[in-house]
Amino acid sequence: MQNTTRQIQTDVLVIGGGATGLGTVRDLAMRGIRTVLVEKGDLTHGTTGRYHGLLHSGGRYVVKDPQSATECAEENAILRRIMPQYIEDTSGFFVITPWDDPDYGDRFLKACHDTRVPVQEISVEEALRREPVLNPKISRVFEVPDGSADSFMSAYGIARSATQYGASILNYHFVTDLVREGDRIVAAIVEDLRTGEHKRIEATYILNTAGAWAGKIAQLADLRVNVMPGKGTMIAMNHRMVNTVINRCKLPADGDILVPIHTVSVIGTTDIHVLDPDVYGIEPDEVTFLMEEGEKMIPGFTRYRALRAWAGVRPLYREESSAVSDRDVSRAYKLLDHRKRDGVDGFISIVGGKWTTYRLMAEEIVDIVAARLGVSTPCRTAQEVIPGGEESKLYWLGHNLAHVEADDSYGDLLCECELVTRKQVVQAIRGGAANLDDVRRETRLGMGPCQGGFCTYRAAALWGEVKPDAVPTNAKNNGKLAQDGAGMPGTALVRHFLQERWKGLTSIMWGDQLRQARLDQLIYVDTLGIDLLPEHIRPPQPENELVTGHPAIATEYHHD
Amino acid sequence: MTERAIVVGAGLAGLMGALALTEAGCRPLVLAKGLGITHWVGGTLDVLGTTGNQSLRVALDDLIANNPDHPYAKLGISEIEAGIARFRAVMQQAHYPYAGSLERNMILPTALGALRPTAYAPITMVAGDMRQGGELLIAGFHELRDFYPPLAAANLREQGVAVRNVYLELPPSAKRLDYSTRTFAFFFDDPDFRQAIGRQLREVRGKATRIGLPAVLGLRDPVEAVADLQRLTGAQIFEIPTLPPSIPGMRLMNIFRRTIEAAGGRVQIGSTVHRAGGNADRLTHLYSEAAAHDQEHRVAVALLATGGIAGGGIGTDYTGRVWDSALDLPLHAPAGREGWFASRFLHREGHPIFAAGVATDDQLRPLDSAGNLVYENVAVAGMALAGSDPVQERSVTGLTVTTGWHAGNLLARAMQAHLETSN
Repeated sequence: MQNTTRQIQTDVLVIGGGATGLGTVRDLAMRGIRTVLVEKGDLTHGTTGRYHGLLHSGGRYVVKDPQSATECAEENAILRRIMPQYIEDTSGFFVITPWDDPDYGDRFLKACHDTRVPVQEISVEEALRREPVLNPKISRVFEVPDGSADSFMSAYGIARSATQYGASILNYHFVTDLVREGDRIVAAIVEDLRTGEHKRIEATYILNTAGAWAGKIAQLADLRVNVMPGKGTMIAMNHRMVNTVINRCKLPADGDILVPIHTVSVIGTTDIHVLDPDVYGIEPDEVTFLMEEGEKMIPGFTRYRALRAWAGVRPLYREESSAVSDRDVSRAYKLLDHRKRDGVDGFISIVGGKWTTYRLMAEEIVDIVAARLGVSTPCRTAQEVIPGGEESKLYWLGHNLAHVEADDSYGDLLCECELVTRKQVVQAIRGGAANLDDVRRETRLGMGPCQGGFCTYRAAALWGEVKPDAVPTNAKNNGKLAQDGAGMPGTALVRHFLQERWKGLTSIMWGDQLRQARLDQLIYVDTLGIDLLPEHIRPPQPENELVTGHPAIATEYHHD
Repeated sequence: MTERAIVVGAGLAGLMGALALTEAGCRPLVLAKGLGITHWVGGTLDVLGTTGNQSLRVALDDLIANNPDHPYAKLGISEIEAGIARFRAVMQQAHYPYAGSLERNMILPTALGALRPTAYAPITMVAGDMRQGGELLIAGFHELRDFYPPLAAANLREQGVAVRNVYLELPPSAKRLDYSTRTFAFFFDDPDFRQAIGRQLREVRGKATRIGLPAVLGLRDPVEAVADLQRLTGAQIFEIPTLPPSIPGMRLMNIFRRTIEAAGGRVQIGSTVHRAGGNADRLTHLYSEAAAHDQEHRVAVALLATGGIAGGGIGTDYTGRVWDSALDLPLHAPAGREGWFASRFLHREGHPIFAAGVATDDQLRPLDSAGNLVYENVAVAGMALAGSDPVQERSVTGLTVTTGWHAGNLLARAMQAHLETSN
């Protein structure tokens, strides 16, 4: 059935292109181990690309999940050192609002000390001076070293570094099977979703870093890994209404955190157990709930403009399935050595954890593999800076503007909302972006208030000028995609990106953002007439296809 | 303070309504939160784009016969024609004539290379009509990030059009740190700049008989600019509308404002009407906010032309509430946010929420949900009307112009009658 046309041999195959997988593949390559990573979608297609961007101080877990709190605190300090260019030092407040138990404050403070999470109580006056829109009725404030982190840009940075060390990273490669010979997993069969070609990747070790999908991967080897995908919904608000991360000081719950990141503030999250990490949506009552919880931290919150909503699935892990709420499952990560656990060698899973602990998780899993492969080179990821961060300068909000001012590149802004220049977009296209959504992840194109209204047309046009022979045209003609695929140059890019933006808009579109959508419709339908362009004029060229709508990677459902 | 004719909104519906009131001697006051739809659309007069192979007039007759709630049905074909005729006459007087007909749409290329139907276009655009043959050249500037000749040309080629594309060099005197469509319009107002561009175009023209440029060929006298470029190149020149802010739209705004103010009307941008007062069947007061203080206006008649969701006249919030932000008139809108959108942005039917608006009687006067008249001295025009989604129908400018004109005339008559009875 499988027309296996190509064989690849490597020492270690890593499955999953999120933060953990990318951290793992870089660590392996730095230790001189041959390695290949496969990811079924774009890099960060999974949970890494769908979280609020909090660099945890550990504060959220001090009471309930002390081990995770300490891990976060230690990794927080390390990440600031090794990837400062992706991290903003926002600091974080834990505030007791009138809706929270006032006695929790003392418990929180003690637990911070016990878990070695740096903490300092500050006066309410001081907190309000620094964050004037914060609810003035708060009674106590504790400051911790929270930060915000760009999980897209850091993923690309880690991936580039890994590649420089010799790793091979294959996205749009979907694992269809794991090959077991006796008590050993020896190879994975993967499908290149762009061409339909199957490849057999043989490896001494296969590492399952697929996060919320780790259970599905393990199943291919008839192994049971009990991942409980916990869906969390978040909303980006179009203002830095705060410059400090704001947490409610209570046991972690829904809608209790506000993270300032880049030009927006993200409120999160809900936590709803889902059966399948590929099937979930954003429910209207989740949005209403988050908006109204926001009001408790920031009075007037519901009148700010909501920019976009999205949901991700947490890779929560439980050894045995039982009926408890997702909130009660530990955030700590867990390494599953299937040799010890199931008597199957050649395969190791790592599950759970946070974005903040990705490096530590990578170190732990690579330590085991390296030992088994007889490699004694020690881990250097806690010391070696990811290229671009050598000057130890943390990201700051004025970063992009400073660049534009330094280069006088006002006239080259393709995305005025996020200050993205022509040069950055050209770099991302030349660097191998598969579509405008890839360009967005590297540059923040289209992530501002207009959600691609102006820059989509510009960037798609530029693509044709930078790579005239490689403009993605059509997508695979399978059901859902039939309407999407336009055989016209540049049009597939425009349609795809507008639709990707639209997906994140419908659940939060009211007020100014609804008005914006109407303007975008006036531009693309009324003025540009995109709906008048005939579709499927040219047969698609396989290597140029947009594949992000392939059923294997099409997450989220829609209300039609 | 005397009773006045008040127009709320300065888009095409408000401006046409104000023009009708001005010409009837009613000296209207236009209060607008900001600039209207002129600056967002390409500046062609689109009456109806969904005509298929029918003539435009037949398609309009069908639409009117089959959709009694459609604003066009409330006007009827003769009022539609009257509005278009008045619009064209004003543009003609301002030396910015519109060509076209109600018989057949012309087909103009867009900045994306699509072929777009429209009934009337400024003569600076009509040479782009794709119903005629001949090789095309599409030219632009690297510095203008809102127009890309290669993309437009590539898509046109896919549709069988013989077309080449070229980027032109800016003369050294035109170097700036930043460029917008407006920067280029100022450039093209300068005959020396046109000389420099015309000479380049002549060199690269080749066999092209028609040359398309972004719609930025000047604000002061674009017709003269096109004539100049035609003399210099020996080819026909046409403008292609592109991303906002729209230069052709700014020309319309300038012409309307001059015409209305010259005849005694006033246009006040930056005044947000946010509250209304009235009695059983008449609107008596409007309140606008400008420079942080409230202004009270006594109302003889009022035209609501706030542009619907696009214009900001319809407010919405996270609970799914939908309201008229100026007069608080009852609205016709889908209930509950779940029903507002289709799953695809480019869904063929559009999105239900964008058809939200005020339901009216045949005289465009507002009705409540039970079909009762709310105010007898108020009319509604343009995108604030329920009963259609002009973007999906490709009737944005046609519908706003004709309903604005019709509503303005009806209000002028109502105002005269009111003044006679109150004297």
